[in-house]
Amino acid sequence: MMLGGQKMKMLLNIQNLVKQYSDGTKALNDINLQIKEGEFIVIIGPSGAGKSSLLRSINRLIEPTGGTINFSGQSVEKANKKELRFIRSHIGMIFQNYNLIPQLSVLENVLHGRLGYMGSINGIFNRYSEEDKIKAIEWLTKLGLENEIYKRADELSGGQKQRVGVCRALMQEPKLILADEPIASLDPKSSTAVMDAIYHNCKQMGIACLVNLHQVEIAKTYATRIIGIKKGRVVFDGTSEELTDSMIYNIYEGKEEQMYQQTI
Amino acid sequence: MKNSDQINIELESSLPNTGKKIKIAHKATQRQQRLFFGIVSLLFIVSLFLIEIDYQVVVKGLERTPAIISEMTQISFEQFGSLLSGMLSTLVIALLAVIISFIVSFFLSFLVANNTTPNKYVGIFFRYFLMVIRSVPTPIWVLISVASLGFGPMAGIIGLIFPTTSFLVKAFAAQIEEEGNDVIEAIRSVGGTWWHVIFKGLLPVLFTGLISTLGVRFELDVHESVVLGIVGAGGIGYLLQSYIQYYKFADLTLGILIVFITIYALELLINWIRIRSSAR
Repeated sequence: MMLGGQKMKMLLNIQNLVKQYSDGTKALNDINLQIKEGEFIVIIGPSGAGKSSLLRSINRLIEPTGGTINFSGQSVEKANKKELRFIRSHIGMIFQNYNLIPQLSVLENVLHGRLGYMGSINGIFNRYSEEDKIKAIEWLTKLGLENEIYKRADELSGGQKQRVGVCRALMQEPKLILADEPIASLDPKSSTAVMDAIYHNCKQMGIACLVNLHQVEIAKTYATRIIGIKKGRVVFDGTSEELTDSMIYNIYEGKEEQMYQQTI
Repeated sequence: MKNSDQINIELESSLPNTGKKIKIAHKATQRQQRLFFGIVSLLFIVSLFLIEIDYQVVVKGLERTPAIISEMTQISFEQFGSLLSGMLSTLVIALLAVIISFIVSFFLSFLVANNTTPNKYVGIFFRYFLMVIRSVPTPIWVLISVASLGFGPMAGIIGLIFPTTSFLVKAFAAQIEEEGNDVIEAIRSVGGTWWHVIFKGLLPVLFTGLISTLGVRFELDVHESVVLGIVGAGGIGYLLQSYIQYYKFADLTLGILIVFITIYALELLINWIRIRSSAR
């Protein structure tokens, strides 16, 4: 909200989004969401509420079954292959399981962030530009991974792997980062490091960020805006001050124990 | 003591008073097993009658066996050179068949695997097409290529390519479906193309698995290609078959020994490679 007086433009507009799986379960049920540039939004909700389906619908890793998604003036749900690649190249994604290529070097994994800007042949033969390589090393250094650059990705600890994941996303020079439970598999100390890395760099670069979390306390620490999801619907949308205890209990109704898992 | 008396009385009274032994088996399982053995025995008896075994031939054959065995204990090194070159060409047939099949199946497997197929129906088409190929036994494929290409190693290679390719596609596709999902999501999410998903994401992850599958298949193809020589695909199998035909058992013994040593050594080698590559 403090982007130096810059007028905040709409970045992502989601209208009536529905995702129904083939077995009939509705993961998302009429979701409406507007996200402005540079916002840091945390989505909370119990497991199975549809948080992950929501993020994956935005870059169409899963195909939504209804509604419209507009990303920075472009229709996502109608995009053809080429347009979708273009949209995805501007949306970074961070995964709960890091989703690195374990056998490749840390640097190669970070450079994968540039694949969206490259043709098939150039990508296959690792023809990354020298500027990209320098940029990747800079990001790795900034996130405290300067000694791991040439290690195999599977030699790193969980927290380090996730920071590589963050570097890969930042390498895309995205307008938006989607982070799906980025700290669910990490210990408290690594969690803080990863959340800080995501938060500060998004702020600095003016990148909007949508983070799925189930820990309410961490959500309140970072979020400029919190969205509560329950059974595929948005049941809360406001600042962390507005998120009252009774609201939290409503969101987590029946799954209260999940609020306290792995809090810092 | 009062208590134990009571228990005894209760136990006795709860037993069925029929004098039969108490049953202990799980009834449904027992029934299944009896049914299985019943059907197998029935099939066995029916088969014995169907095949019309001439027992006098069997007895005569048994009478001849000691003579053949004693002939086979004499080993002749007369054909050593041609046997070695036969074994080599058997290995070459298997190797070429595996390499060509690998190139074809590498691309086909990405078309077939559920999570990488560019088009669902293309994937299903190839899946069923390869199933048809797999259901025709390898010797039939070789006989077909012998019929069209003539006797020799080329027929062996072509004949082996069909079953080898379909085997490899099935194995590779299963590996892609099992291990690929996280990697596919990662590369797709950055805007990578289908080729990026395969070469930058899946290939490094699946590499060791692919190599060890190839090793297994090469071993199988060497076995096959020894046998296939007999139906005209060249290599050592062809020599073995001619020795049997002309009762040259001393040469046959050397041939069998060469096959045994080669395949045994090959298995050791492939196991060693597999252990090395998985240990990284």
